[in-house]
Amino acid sequence: MSAILFYVLAVVALLGAAGVILAKSPMGSVISLLGTFFALAVIYLLAGFQFLAAAQILVYAGAILVLFLFVIMLLNLGAMGSRFELSFAPLQSGRARLAAAIAMALALIGLVAAQRASLKALAEPAADAPALDSLRGIALELFGRYSLPFQAVSVLLLATMVAVIVLAKRQRAGEHGSGEGAQ
Amino acid sequence: MDGFNIKDVPEVVLWIAKIAIIFGGLVGTAALMSLAERKVSAWMQYRHGPNRVGPFGLLQPLADGIKFIFKEELIPEGANKFLFRLAPALAAIPAMMTIAVIPIGTVVIADQVIPFSIAQIDLGIMYMLALGGLSVYGAILGGWASNSKYSLLGGLRASAQMISYELTLILSILVVVALSGSLDLNTIVDAQREAGLWNVFTPFGFLAFVLFTIASFAETNRHPFDFAECEPELVGGFHTEYSAMRFALFFLGEYCAMTVMACLNTTLFFGGPSVPFWPEAPWFLGILAFLVKAGFFLFLFIWVRWTLPRFRFDQLMRLGWKVALPIALVNLLVVGAWVAFTTKGS
Repeated sequence: MSAILFYVLAVVALLGAAGVILAKSPMGSVISLLGTFFALAVIYLLAGFQFLAAAQILVYAGAILVLFLFVIMLLNLGAMGSRFELSFAPLQSGRARLAAAIAMALALIGLVAAQRASLKALAEPAADAPALDSLRGIALELFGRYSLPFQAVSVLLLATMVAVIVLAKRQRAGEHGSGEGAQ
Repeated sequence: MDGFNIKDVPEVVLWIAKIAIIFGGLVGTAALMSLAERKVSAWMQYRHGPNRVGPFGLLQPLADGIKFIFKEELIPEGANKFLFRLAPALAAIPAMMTIAVIPIGTVVIADQVIPFSIAQIDLGIMYMLALGGLSVYGAILGGWASNSKYSLLGGLRASAQMISYELTLILSILVVVALSGSLDLNTIVDAQREAGLWNVFTPFGFLAFVLFTIASFAETNRHPFDFAECEPELVGGFHTEYSAMRFALFFLGEYCAMTVMACLNTTLFFGGPSVPFWPEAPWFLGILAFLVKAGFFLFLFIWVRWTLPRFRFDQLMRLGWKVALPIALVNLLVVGAWVAFTTKGS
């Protein structure tokens, strides 16, 4: 039962991922991405990682994608028409084909690796490690052993945010001819 | 009831019974709320309110429902049909699903205790927040897919407001999580019952309760924060173009979200099904206590709507980002420090 569910969800996730690239309108891409996130969340649930599934929905579907939608609506990229359409133009260039080929090769390697080491063994932690499917286990790992990388990642995210703001402001200041106007 | 053992009953039967009762209760409450809203507003304005259908107008929601079903459904030209059909479902379904983890109390049949909630999961609060965060999609997609200015502006406003206040909402819930040390709503209720002190009567808990209540009004797009459908400016907001049953689904979603927020407020800050000053109260009094408390918060939604004037949108944003959010952050910080210094070991 769960195996069937897994394959169905995997197909949904892959179709969604393809839809993100192939959809003609950005809105279609976002909706496809939403489908992928949901499929992934349910796959996490099937694997027994409840917290990860909830966090996936909460952070990606509930926050990040909503911001994407916001930006798309504010940018006003024109009407998308009454139905979704696919466009294969992004796949026409040689560079895109190369990238797709590399991605496929990586996916194939991943598949072979997964075939050799069963997923169960990958999901099961070492005997001394705290269980990652419980909240306490995740917290102990994050704020204990991985405390420093965790903090480093958050600083990195902050730096990215500041950098984006600075870039955006500089562009705007250039448009208006002076850096004083932009606060 | 001699020899009756609850373990003899197949678990599926219990599940279906619970789902039927709780889910039916939620949708029934939502329907009754639409009547209560009109009745209470009428009394506040010295009118009678709907009183023609059934005794005291009690069958009005049924009549409304039948009317919604038989109305013509319109899809505007140029609207994205897929999203236009999807949006009402996205607005209603997450709001209905969140009721599953609310502990309404326990039922005792032949000395056997059955928890009266659809699911008892460890991550109850994460589940509620994850699904609650999805309710914004109904507004934003519905507003966008309608291909109309009013709908688009309404959708943008609704989503901006929901994102802004979700932070305050989550931070004030986290205060309760820190106080009781669990994400499980059942544990939160038990902690309050064992301490004999509801969270609202602790200083941090009270502040969190005030912030949570304000944020829950903004989250459900209720007065005084109902900018999504600010009638004089935006006609009906994101559901301007909707008609018949699809409009009813948005309506149902809003009332279900209100009911769930009232239940969550009861659970987090008012001890859920615990009866004040009587820890050994029989189980049916516990459920009654829960319903009374949740009923009060539902009444509060109506009371506030017909008493306070509407904010301005920039005032709402300022209140959310510059007042509520900093207070919630500091509150959480202080609670964290307090919990860390008062609990030993673990």
